[in-house]
Amino acid sequence: MPLDYKRFNGPEDSVSYKRFTADYLKSYDELHSELIDETGHRKDGRAMDEARPMYVRGNFVSQAKGSSYIEMRGTKVVCSVFDPREIVHQNEFSTVGLLFCEVKFAPFACKRQRQSHVPDSEEKALSVALRKAVGPTVCCQLFANFQIDIFVYIIESDGSCLAAAITAAGLALANAAVPMFDVVTASSVAIIGDKIFIDPTEDEEHLAMISPDTNTNHGVITMARLNGLMQIADFRQIGSLDIECILKVTDILEQECQKVFPKIQKTLVGYVKNGIMEQKRLSEEGKAREAKLKDKMLEWRSSIVNNSV
Amino acid sequence: MAGILLSHTEKVYITHGVKNEYRSDGRSNIDYRPMELETDVVSHASGSARLRLANTDILVGVKTEIDVPKPDKPGLGKIEFFVDCSANATPEFEGRGGEQLANSISNIMLRAYQSAQAFNLKQLCIFEGKQCWKLYIDILVTLCRIGEKCVVDPTAEEESCSLVSLIVGVTGNPKYYNDYEDEEELPAFEAKCSVISMHGPGSVSPQNLRDAINQGIIAAVCLDEALGKTLFRERRDTEQFKRHSYGFLK
Repeated sequence: MPLDYKRFNGPEDSVSYKRFTADYLKSYDELHSELIDETGHRKDGRAMDEARPMYVRGNFVSQAKGSSYIEMRGTKVVCSVFDPREIVHQNEFSTVGLLFCEVKFAPFACKRQRQSHVPDSEEKALSVALRKAVGPTVCCQLFANFQIDIFVYIIESDGSCLAAAITAAGLALANAAVPMFDVVTASSVAIIGDKIFIDPTEDEEHLAMISPDTNTNHGVITMARLNGLMQIADFRQIGSLDIECILKVTDILEQECQKVFPKIQKTLVGYVKNGIMEQKRLSEEGKAREAKLKDKMLEWRSSIVNNSV
Repeated sequence: MAGILLSHTEKVYITHGVKNEYRSDGRSNIDYRPMELETDVVSHASGSARLRLANTDILVGVKTEIDVPKPDKPGLGKIEFFVDCSANATPEFEGRGGEQLANSISNIMLRAYQSAQAFNLKQLCIFEGKQCWKLYIDILVTLCRIGEKCVVDPTAEEESCSLVSLIVGVTGNPKYYNDYEDEEELPAFEAKCSVISMHGPGSVSPQNLRDAINQGIIAAVCLDEALGKTLFRERRDTEQFKRHSYGFLK
């Protein structure tokens, strides 16, 4: 992990205390059997094909042009989008706009290790993935020579971080009134053997990344989808999977992304309605104030006329 | 590369041609251009390879060192990738220009080798918890660009017409990489996907994605077989006589 020399770092060879707990010594099979119980439900009580309930909110960060907050039980993600500014570090004119994406974990976000303040390779990879997922929807030709900053901060991570980040970024961009072609939503899936875990938690993802001794399928796939246009914006696979599994999972992921879409739509429509009502209220207030001022003005004029007479 | 400028008609020509399964150099959609591969080009590295594919030239070096394994993975070795796009390739790579491409390639490599079925890090363990091998893999892109898509192995013109590209990594068939003395019971081998990654500013319809993945895997498996056979033959040849080294002068 790269060190941040501006801060005080702990001793370099310090190791998480969890290495010395009984949990750490569990074998692959033990961990696997813990994930699913006898009734076929997962550790948190969900069915295999059930996603976590999602709480979605826009207008979360007051200082940003647009922002959003997404919470899926243990995964909490904040996204802020700022006004377009001139492309940094570039002298030549570019005919399209640029998107600058940055994903950052809070130092206390992951349960397995402390994240450093300097972005490490995983965060850089997530930033690139976010840019690829959100890039197709934004109408870059409408802000030539400008860049729009998208910052995603993961407050707590319990699996499906990239999917949550992409959905949050899509919502924040819409909240910021950035011109877009479509709403982008994302979801992910973990595969262990022949079991498919939809919207995996961190434990499930961690186990899916470990390869068992036998040559079975294991891996994590994340997909981002443009729902109105029904196109796939990004598809990311890691692990070792055979082709039928990948094709089957593509269908499952499309449906999952589609399920998230109505929530985002509803949130956005709600904010537009609120915005219109707020405007109406403000303009009415304004008119009432104007009327009062006018009355006062007439009163004052008539009092002057009376006095001078 | 002094910018590929294509007129609208040329782009239409290429896209229509691809739809009808023929390309401007006579290949079909899943044919690779002839590739040249030479190993052991850098004498100081533990292993090296040079790959030349039309105008793209890549040099890969592997150095091994003995290191302490990670505390949470005491039985595994370490592998590290570093990609450097040198300014020799194209003037765009000068300074920090090639950094984005380099980062994305090293990310893909890292994900491709993440699974033990692609590369088993247990092989690199010397003494569990105390010592392990660490492989440094340095990739130097010396000429032009790399890409793989629905049209397998595109030329630069084809790539500049495309909106999306898909990169598929497939685990190698162990038949060619181990020494199987006799015709033993080889385990039934099925190619598995180690990494899939999308690039480019566009999006793709689900059917296209499925077709692209299928095509990519077929092409990758053919490539792996050809590669395996060549390496096998090379190993046999070097045992017999000192082979003529071509190096970079050719």
